[in-house]
Amino acid sequence: MNLMNWKNRLAAVTTGAALAMAGPALANPYEKYAGTTLVISWPALAHFNAAEGLLEEFTEETGIEVEVDALQYLKLRDRQLLEMSKDEGEYDIVSWVVMWKGEYVSKGLLTPLSQFFTNGALVDPEFNIDDIADAYLQNGGVVGGQKGYLPGKSGGLYGLPFGAETSILAYRKDIFEEQGLAVPTTYDELTEVMTQLDAAGIPAMTSRGKTGHQVTAGWLLHLAPMGGKIFDDQWNPVINSPEGVKAAEFMRHVVQTGPTGIETFGFGEAAAAFLQGDAALYLDTLKIAAMSRNPNLSTVDGKVGFALHPTDVRCGSETGGFAIGIPANSQNQEAAFLLIQYLTNKAGDQRMVELGGDPIRHSTIQNNAGQFTEYPVVAEQLPCADPDWRPLIPEWNELNIDVLGQALTRVITTNDPIQPIMDEANEKARAIMEREGYYKWAAYRQGN
Amino acid sequence: MSIRTLSPYFFILPAVAIMFAGLVYPVLQAFYLSLFDWKIGTKFNDAPYVGVRHFVRMLTDDNVHESIWVTLRFGFWTITIEMFLGVSLALLLEKPIRGASVFRTIFILPLMISPVVVGLIWRYLFDARIGWINYYLGMIGVEPQVWLGDPELAFFAIVFTDIWQWTPFIFIIVIAGLQALPSEILEASKIDGANWWQHILFVKLPMIRSILLIALLLRLIDVFRALEVMYILTGGGPGRATELLSLHIYNRAFETQQLGYASAISVLLILIVFGLSFAILVAGNPMKEKSDI
Repeated sequence: MNLMNWKNRLAAVTTGAALAMAGPALANPYEKYAGTTLVISWPALAHFNAAEGLLEEFTEETGIEVEVDALQYLKLRDRQLLEMSKDEGEYDIVSWVVMWKGEYVSKGLLTPLSQFFTNGALVDPEFNIDDIADAYLQNGGVVGGQKGYLPGKSGGLYGLPFGAETSILAYRKDIFEEQGLAVPTTYDELTEVMTQLDAAGIPAMTSRGKTGHQVTAGWLLHLAPMGGKIFDDQWNPVINSPEGVKAAEFMRHVVQTGPTGIETFGFGEAAAAFLQGDAALYLDTLKIAAMSRNPNLSTVDGKVGFALHPTDVRCGSETGGFAIGIPANSQNQEAAFLLIQYLTNKAGDQRMVELGGDPIRHSTIQNNAGQFTEYPVVAEQLPCADPDWRPLIPEWNELNIDVLGQALTRVITTNDPIQPIMDEANEKARAIMEREGYYKWAAYRQGN
Repeated sequence: MSIRTLSPYFFILPAVAIMFAGLVYPVLQAFYLSLFDWKIGTKFNDAPYVGVRHFVRMLTDDNVHESIWVTLRFGFWTITIEMFLGVSLALLLEKPIRGASVFRTIFILPLMISPVVVGLIWRYLFDARIGWINYYLGMIGVEPQVWLGDPELAFFAIVFTDIWQWTPFIFIIVIAGLQALPSEILEASKIDGANWWQHILFVKLPMIRSILLIALLLRLIDVFRALEVMYILTGGGPGRATELLSLHIYNRAFETQQLGYASAISVLLILIVFGLSFAILVAGNPMKEKSDI
């Protein structure tokens, strides 16, 4: 007997022991990755500072360590590109400004999240991706759909929104009451309110205006509701369209009636002007709401009201902010996915609100609507968030900084006629698109 | 060729090798990179070869021309004023008067501050909304100015900041030169009846001519290298009003990802600095009397 029996018994005992050991391991999807250290690259902004509390809770719960490399948000791109182009990069998770997603994917630097969403051991069945605001998800995470950056069947998911945003109007309730002004709902009303505030000696609306990305972002906020676009369906630039010129004229009016120094304001300076009481209006990211409640940043807490982004020919608010994803050269991709999922699931989104961050899920916005006055406004604004607010193509950075960023600086720092400035910018944009081969198919078809 | 003839070359070989590795090789690399259209985040091996296309584009690029013009204007104003102020201060403070060492220390403080900090200090001072300059001007009834958002004022701001930071450099070099002058000659000129102006213009300044030329040369090179302060202060804006050539290269390379094109402009920058340095050395080589270069 008995050698065989003994062997069988040993095998049974070993299998039983292995199963007994595997049992608890299978019950904890994080256990396999305990002791791993993840490195995150993200911006030094209020939402992400708040998220550090959530990271500590993640480490406590999972045993996965997290290190953060936080940089000024426009400096992230250089560092991330450098790290992600190495064979083995430092970063396991990167957070990008949505306008960089096309470039990152076209260079093959990000991992498609479908690799993880097909892994039953990793995906939390209660994650419910449909609960995430569609505008945020499509704008921050989907690449390759219609035009390469819009929703569409050929699109792939490369990131999840985290720190995503749309635009709302913030106004000083006390000043509006004092001046007997109604909250503007259209651009005509907004223009009139700005003129009246200026006449009363009150700086009207703050805005970004610094040369480059910032002044372009300021202009884009008005272009969408005025019905303008950067390109038509054939990639012809239409920067100099009547809508583009009208948005530039409005931008000039903002500078003429707003606080001193808009020409030098980046995101931080524009927000600070409002938060420190030097402007009566702020039309930009919803992040201003959480910032206005932060006593370290704001002297106007309790005096701020929120309203929808005014409409002109249509409703159209920005789609911007950040998304997070996994570099293709990360050595800890599965653990990185678990952290991304932890930050963006329902519990994580609710914790972000409690820690002072901004939610990305409809359910979180609804559940907290009674607590924060801007949430009902955001919920109403989201359907107007325009996924085609700016073309998130790899060439956008050059168009944004070098072409529009220069032209719009001329608009706001001079009194030169606007149409020729925008015509010139349009030609420069066309030259860039030509150089990058966007008209090859049209030329080919014409040739045939 | 005898060993005696060759031996000097043998002894300077290590220095030449280090120069080549540290100076010439990077320049050659920059030139090599300028022949490709490479973007960060992609493999260099995949970058398309474009030959001299970047150089051709550079020669007709209005933005490059504008940037060179901004740099030349910046260099003219800063170096002229810094040389005048630095030499004047050195002449005033060279005598062993009471408290001179305190003044000297105060004057050279800006030189010791990191350029990034200098940029931040002046950015906040010039800030249109919260800056001290507008605050104090407001006290005497001057309307707030957008110092860093108006092309003319922003240019003035970068010139002013540079003068604040670099005048002490001229001061410290000149005062060292003045204190090393042989007292016999100075006394002889006094005995010969030279007044204060003649003493300075015809005796002291000619005697420190070599030092002044070296200071001028170093400042000239610095003007073309200047980046950090302007990057923090204005970022080159508004528009391109303060975009010095080095900042233009940075913006091309990292803001718009045109690394090959930025390298081509870097080669131009090196040629300009080389040309200017060579011209100054030919015009007044401080080592002329000591060598045959």
